[in-house]
Amino acid sequence: MGYQFDFSAVIGNWKLLLIGLQNSIILGATCLVLGLSLGLIVGGMRYMRAPIVNWPATAFVEVFRNTPVLVQIMWFFFAFPIISPVEINAFTAASLGLTLNTAAFSAEIFRAGIRSVEKGQWEAGKAIGMTYIQQLRRIVLPQAIRRMLPAFMNRAVELMKMTSLASVIAYGELMHKAKQISTLEFNPIEMYTVVALIFFALIFPLALFVQRFELKLKDSG
Amino acid sequence: MTEILRLRNLHKSFGPLEVLKGIDLAVAQGEVIVLIGASGSGKSTLLRCINFMEIPTSGRVFLHGTPVGRQTSSGVSYVERELTQIRARIGMVFQHFNLFPHMTALQNVMEGPRTVLKCSPDECRNRADNQLRKVGLEWKADAYPSQLSGGQQQRVAIARALAMEPEIMLFDEVTSALDPELVGEVLITMKELADEGMTMLIVTHELGFAYSVADRVLFLADGNVLEQGSPPEVLTYPKEEATKNFLRGHSSFRLPEPQLD
Amino acid sequence: MGYEWDFLVVLRDFDLLLLGLVNTLKVTVLALVLGVPIGLALALLRLYGNLVVRAPVGLLIEFLRTTPPIAQLFWFFFALPILTGIEIDPFRASILTFALQSSAFFAEVFRGGIVSIDTGQWEASKALGMSRNESLRRIILPQAVKRMIPAFLERAIELMKTTTLVSTISYADLLYQANSIAQSTYRSLEVFSIAAAMYFLVIFACSMIVRYIEARLAIASEAAH
Ligand SMILES: Nc1ncnc2c1ncn2[C@@H]1O[C@H](COP(=O)(O)OP(=O)(O)O)[C@@H](O)[C@H]1O
Ligand SMILES: [Mg+2]
Repeated sequence: MGYQFDFSAVIGNWKLLLIGLQNSIILGATCLVLGLSLGLIVGGMRYMRAPIVNWPATAFVEVFRNTPVLVQIMWFFFAFPIISPVEINAFTAASLGLTLNTAAFSAEIFRAGIRSVEKGQWEAGKAIGMTYIQQLRRIVLPQAIRRMLPAFMNRAVELMKMTSLASVIAYGELMHKAKQISTLEFNPIEMYTVVALIFFALIFPLALFVQRFELKLKDSG
Repeated sequence: MTEILRLRNLHKSFGPLEVLKGIDLAVAQGEVIVLIGASGSGKSTLLRCINFMEIPTSGRVFLHGTPVGRQTSSGVSYVERELTQIRARIGMVFQHFNLFPHMTALQNVMEGPRTVLKCSPDECRNRADNQLRKVGLEWKADAYPSQLSGGQQQRVAIARALAMEPEIMLFDEVTSALDPELVGEVLITMKELADEGMTMLIVTHELGFAYSVADRVLFLADGNVLEQGSPPEVLTYPKEEATKNFLRGHSSFRLPEPQLD
Repeated sequence: MGYEWDFLVVLRDFDLLLLGLVNTLKVTVLALVLGVPIGLALALLRLYGNLVVRAPVGLLIEFLRTTPPIAQLFWFFFALPILTGIEIDPFRASILTFALQSSAFFAEVFRGGIVSIDTGQWEASKALGMSRNESLRRIILPQAVKRMIPAFLERAIELMKTTTLVSTISYADLLYQANSIAQSTYRSLEVFSIAAAMYFLVIFACSMIVRYIEARLAIASEAAH
C-alpha cells in the first residue's frame, strides 16, 4: 500500500470547492425552508378529515416518501421539462425534488407531533372556554413543536446529505465540483477523501447537536 | 333558592349506545351534588354534557333559566361560539389533572383569564395569585407540573378552573388517579370550596367525603337517575336494590347493616 | 402543452426495466445480508468493547451515517482500487458501500434496542448465574430484536431507495436502465414516470407490510402490559 498521498491539487482548487460548498448550502437551505413550510401545510391537510383535503395530501405524502429521491430529482430534470411551461435547470429540478421530498417527510412529523399531544390537553383548553384555534396555538402546538424539533433537525441532516445527489444532474455543488476536479487532476483518492471529510465536518456537528437535544428532551420528560 | 342549572330530558348517545336516557335535574345556587354509580353508568358523560364537552343528543340545558342552543324543527342546534362562552362560565376538573406541562403553575392558572377572558396582565396575575393562595400553593407558583406531586397538580388544576370565576364547578373523579396519601389534601380543598357556597357537581367514589359534603346525592344507573336524596337517604338508607349492591362494593363506607332489616 | 404520450416505446423495453428492478433488489438484499451482521458487530463493539475499540468504532459509525452515500460510493469505486491496486467492478463497489453504509444505521438500531431493555433484565439473568454473553444472547437480544423490528424494516426500505445511486457508477439497476432507455428513445417523460411508478409499487408495498407488522407488534406489546 505504498500510495503517496498528494493533496496539492485539492488545495490548488480550493476556490472551486468553496463555490461548490456554497452551492450545496444554498440548495440545502432553500429546500429546508420551502420543504418545512410546505410540510406544515400538507401536514395540516393530512390532519383534517374532509376527503377533498385529506386525499390529495395523503397521496402526495405516500408518493414522495415511497420513491427514491434520486428518481424524483431525475424525473424533474429529464421528464418534467417536457410538460413544464417554464424552463427547468439543474437547480430548479434538484430544488423541486428535494423540497417536495422534505415536505412529504416533515408533513408526517408534523402530524405525528400533534397526534402525540394527549387528548386531555385539548380538553383542558376546551373546558376553560378556549376556541379550537386557541387550544391549538396556546396548548397543543407549543408542546408538539418541542417534540417535533429533533425529527425536523434530522430532516435537515438528511437534506444536507441529499444535496449531493444534485451532482448527478450536474448542478455545481460540492460533490459535482469534486468529480470535475478528480477527472482533471487524476486524484480521486485525495479528492473524494477530502470531500467526504468536508461533508462530515459540515453535517456531524448538526447531527451531534440533534442527539444532545433528544437526550435533553428525554430527561425533561 | 335560585335555580342556576337545569337539565331537561337530557339524552346522549354514542352511535348506537345510549348512555344518558333522559336526565332531569335542577341545581340550586350553592348546592353541592354528588353523583355516584358504577363505572360506565354515564357519570362522566353527564358532567361533560353540562359544559358541552359533549353535545347532548336531545334535551335542553338551562343556565339561570336561559336555554343553551336554539330550538329548530330538527332538534336543538348549537353555535360553537355560544358553547365556548358557556364553558368559560363552568369550571371543570379532570381525573388526570391535564395541567399544561409547558407552563408553570402560575401560568397554568393565568392561561384562562389571559386567553379566554382577555383580562389585563395585572388582573390575570391577581386572579392567579389569589387562587393559588386559596389552594395553598402560592409557594409553588413557578414550579412546572412535572415538579409537583399528584395532589399539588390537582390543586393547581382546581385553581386554574377557579381563576375563570365560574358559576358552577364540575369534578370528575378528581382523586381517582392519586396515591391514597394525597387524596386528603384535594378533598379538603373541595370541602372549603363547598363551604364558601360554590355550586358543585361532583363525581366521586369517596363515599365518606360525599356524605359530609353533599346536599344531595344522585345514584346513576344505566343512564338514569335511579335514586336521589340527602346523603343519609341515599348512602345510609338506600331504597333501590342496585344502590345497595353498589354501596356494598365500597368497603370504605360501611352500611349500618343492623338498622336496615 | 400538446404533448403526445407514447408508452408503447417504453413497453417494448419493459423487460430491460424489469431486469433493472431485479438488479436493484439484488443489491438491496446482498447489502442487507452483509450489513445486518456487520451492524450487530459494530453495535456490540461500541457498547461493550474496551475504550480503545469504542472510540474508533463510534467515529466510524458516525462518519458513515453523516456523509452522503454518493461520496462513499465514489470513494469505494474510484479511490479504493487505486489505493489497493485491486480492480473493483460497479457491482462489488455497490455492495461494499451499501453493506457498510447500512451497517452503521443498523448498528444504531441494535444499540438503541439493547439500551432500551430495562437493567432489571440484566440483573435478573445475572442473579441466575448467567455470564454477560449468555445474558445478552438468551435474555437481552431476544427482547431487543422485537422492539427493533420496525426501525429495522424502515432502514431496509431506506436502503432500497439509496441503492439508486449505483446507477451513477453504471451498474444496471432500474434507474440506470430507465436512463439509457430514455436516451435511446427520446421518451424520458414516459420512461422516468414508469420507472418511478415501479419504484413506488415495490417500496409502497414494502411500507405497507412494515406498517402491518408495526401494528401487530404494537398490539402484542399492549397485550403484554
Ligand atoms: N366518546 C365516547 N365514545 C363512545 N363511547 C363513549 C364515549 N364516552 C363514553 N362512552 C361510553 O359511554 C358509557 C358511559 O361512560 P362514562 O360516562 O365515562 O361512564 P362513567 O363516568 O360513569 O364511568 C361507557 O360505556 C363508555 O364506554
Ligand atoms: Mg367517568
